[in-house]
Amino acid sequence: MNTIALAGNPNSGKSSLFNQLTGLRQKVANFPGVTVEKKFGKLQLPGGEEVMLIDLPGAYSLYPNSEDERVVLNALVNPADKNFPDAIVYVSDLTNLEKHLLLLTQLKDLGLPCLLALNMADVAERSGMTIDVGQLSDFLEIPVVLVSGRTGMNVEALKQAMADLMHSKSSTSPLYVPTTVEQKVARQVQQELGIENPYRALLVAHHAERLAHLTEAQKAAVRRICEAENFRSLPNQIAETMRRYERFTPVLQKAISRKAEKPTRTDGLDAILTQPILAPIIFFVVMFLVFQAIYAWAAYPMDWIETGFGWAAESLRANLPAGWFTDLLTEGVLTGLGGILVFVPQIAILFMLITILEEVGYMARAVFIFDKLMQQFGLNGRSVVALVAGGACAIPAIMSTRTIGNWRERLLTILATPLISCSARIPVYTVLIGFVVPPGRVLGIFNAQGMAFMGLYLLGIVAALGSAWVFKQFVKSSDPSWLVMQLPPYRLPVWRNVWHTIWEKTSAFVLEAGKVILVASIVLWGLASYGPSAKMAAAEAEATSIAQQQNLDETATADLVAAYRIEASYAGHLGKFIEPVIRPLGFDWKIGIALITSFAAREVFVATMATIYSIGSTNDEATIHDRLAEARNPQTGAKVYTAATAASLLIFYVFALQCMSTIAVVRRETGGWKWPIVQFSFMGVLAYLGSWVVFNLLG
Amino acid sequence: MTSAVTQLKEGFGGRISHFADERIAGKLMTMGVLPGSQLKVVRIAPFNGGYYLKVDGINVVVRHNEASSIMTTLDIE
Repeated sequence: MNTIALAGNPNSGKSSLFNQLTGLRQKVANFPGVTVEKKFGKLQLPGGEEVMLIDLPGAYSLYPNSEDERVVLNALVNPADKNFPDAIVYVSDLTNLEKHLLLLTQLKDLGLPCLLALNMADVAERSGMTIDVGQLSDFLEIPVVLVSGRTGMNVEALKQAMADLMHSKSSTSPLYVPTTVEQKVARQVQQELGIENPYRALLVAHHAERLAHLTEAQKAAVRRICEAENFRSLPNQIAETMRRYERFTPVLQKAISRKAEKPTRTDGLDAILTQPILAPIIFFVVMFLVFQAIYAWAAYPMDWIETGFGWAAESLRANLPAGWFTDLLTEGVLTGLGGILVFVPQIAILFMLITILEEVGYMARAVFIFDKLMQQFGLNGRSVVALVAGGACAIPAIMSTRTIGNWRERLLTILATPLISCSARIPVYTVLIGFVVPPGRVLGIFNAQGMAFMGLYLLGIVAALGSAWVFKQFVKSSDPSWLVMQLPPYRLPVWRNVWHTIWEKTSAFVLEAGKVILVASIVLWGLASYGPSAKMAAAEAEATSIAQQQNLDETATADLVAAYRIEASYAGHLGKFIEPVIRPLGFDWKIGIALITSFAAREVFVATMATIYSIGSTNDEATIHDRLAEARNPQTGAKVYTAATAASLLIFYVFALQCMSTIAVVRRETGGWKWPIVQFSFMGVLAYLGSWVVFNLLG
Repeated sequence: MTSAVTQLKEGFGGRISHFADERIAGKLMTMGVLPGSQLKVVRIAPFNGGYYLKVDGINVVVRHNEASSIMTTLDIE
């Protein structure tokens, strides 16, 4: 099957056009070795031929300044690359055509059959801009089509032009005439490496050191040629770029006519939205609304999902014979699936809002406003979005860091985000805070427990920024930090693109992170339900006889049996096993069990505590709080939940990475186990030290 | 008279004469910020933050370091 690549600058509307052409049949993968997304999909052209369409990342030229641009170079400079296209559809924003043709002239000189799609033709027309397509086509010697990815205008004509392009054999003359030195270098590289196209050879001479497909011997050969000819990459690159602009700029000036420039809507909006004092205020209002939306809107579908899975488990249990298989299905598999799907509403809503802000053009302004501040912590202006979203849930927040171009800034954001207190910590905070702060008011007006709640959140924020700063000292970057970014004009969002993003992000989460979550929750279920069989049987018998002595009703008996069983289970053994380690923090083995089971999700802590204290049939937080308040150490008779223990446990939950879903997502986003392990250990040490200090200060 | 963009105030501009740093020149030129382009400083973020520039009708954001290597000649009006 032939491959056609969509190439063009960032902000050229390439993705809109790609969505128009492929619809929902598109797939997403990563380019080899990097976390740059590769979108591709099949497309049937008029005449029946089916082609594979690849959406290359946005790039300004074949002299890469970003990971995205490096991917484009790698795909186009090596004909053996599996992403090497047979033809190229170059997408260009017609309204800024003067700045968007450089890459096309380079692709043409590589000898690839090209077609120019002038995108946003509808916007150009409305602004009173006209272009002489014929003149441009004659100059470039390639077909030119006016289209709009937003409205779908001329998409059929574009498909026809693509079909024609696959069968045309006409070659075009190079647009750039190399200097004598460049010609000499190119010719030698051509001979040495057997490259047919002179411009491809010249690019190899420029980039040999960073091209993955070359052998060390080939790189050394290219180095020798460059040294012998005294060929220096950077000055030649600058001169070549200038010459290319000088070739096409006069042609465009003749072909394009614009109405007199008037202040645009964008200028007017930016006068307000980037104003030094208003900008941060507006940004935080917008982020507050995003936070509220994830928090409030997602609550309903999350409730339905939880109720639905609860109902499914109940009816399975009612209809299947009791036994380990039914337990595995209901408590392992269904809990795992529910645990995956329950995140879907938050992910979908966050990405809907982020994509809208991105499409509208507001995100680029956020980068401008916060870049300086975030740089202090080794982060990027866009990190603010992830940190705010982390207040609802770290999973979608970490997935949203893909828009951060610099790998180091993105990694630091991923490492910092789970320290922001997410919504799953709220039930834990609610149960425990009463032990530390008595109800009442501070200064007569503020609710004391509310203040403590806020304190925990602030602690999370400080910890997030602080650890970003710490990691900044250790994670070194090969690329110097810099920022050159275009601010796109404000535009209405294209809803098709919004839906596409939601679909793509949620399915990626369910399919990829979901696997890890499902396996982990089955393991956790096994740990909590199984133990050495003699001990399990003894525990059950003991609980039953106690229940009979005390004349307990059916529910209370079941609760008591559950409490004895979890103590005898492997999870109970593990809890006792880690007790010496967590003892200095004021935790006993019961808390140890809850720490292990709440690894499935932090809110599970509350349910586990209820089971251990044989009130498993309740899930009311106030009841659980009262029951915990009565708990006493069997040996000393001292209360277990003193202010010191509860405070220590609270601090532990602020810092510790008690969430397997986050670990699964970090593994996916960083492409391996290294960073999730580093992050888990770092946050674990932080939690342990923090809890130890607090326990000893208060205890 | 040439002056670096960092010496300009908001609302002022000129024509780009050259770049003081080759690496930065390479990055800016691929985006169409070229010697000869018309430049205006739209907004400077506080505390030595980024520069929001308008160059030949496109909006570009650069950091202080990048801005300091863009040299402009002031228009005489």
